[in-house]
Amino acid sequence: MKNRIRELRETRQMSQEELAGKLGVSRQTVNAIENDKYDPMLPLAFKIARVFGKTVEEVFTPDKRR
Amino acid sequence: MDTTRISPVGRRGLAAAVLFVATFFAARMILSIEGADMPLRILAALIPVAPFAWLLTAIVARLKAMDELEQRIQLEALGIAFPVTMVILMTLGLLELAVPLPPEDLSYRHVWALLPMLYFIGLALARSRYR
Repeated sequence: MKNRIRELRETRQMSQEELAGKLGVSRQTVNAIENDKYDPMLPLAFKIARVFGKTVEEVFTPDKRR
Repeated sequence: MDTTRISPVGRRGLAAAVLFVATFFAARMILSIEGADMPLRILAALIPVAPFAWLLTAIVARLKAMDELEQRIQLEALGIAFPVTMVILMTLGLLELAVPLPPEDLSYRHVWALLPMLYFIGLALARSRYR
């Protein structure tokens, strides 16, 4: 799955640490999701979308290569 | 060590681990005494179980507090350590049937240490995947 988390976070001048704090996860988890190394489960995906005021589909898109 | 940076669950785990190691070595010391009474020997052998059970509750509490990626990393670490330990144990068991193995070198009493060792290797491998 591809995502726009880094772009959305940087637009809001938010650090990975700050985003991790809002989501209740570690900075390593935010980093892994941003780098497409880990796809979050649905509750976390909804939480991420809510933080940025977007829908899940606006933040995450299917990766056609997989 | 600055213990104020360790979470309450971490402090509980650390205390339980220290207590377990202390009781384990105390048990080993008592069991090495020649002529110690049988009830004392049995008690010494069983005492480390209590702090280990306490340690286990701290480990479970720590696992529950982890985020989903860290839980997945722990699962992958165990997914490596557990089957590899099983294969080693099975191979040693078969080898033991084939040839007499030196009990002091390859005894099952020493093999238990493989699981935590392989768990830490698995943990390092799993963490590197998500870095």
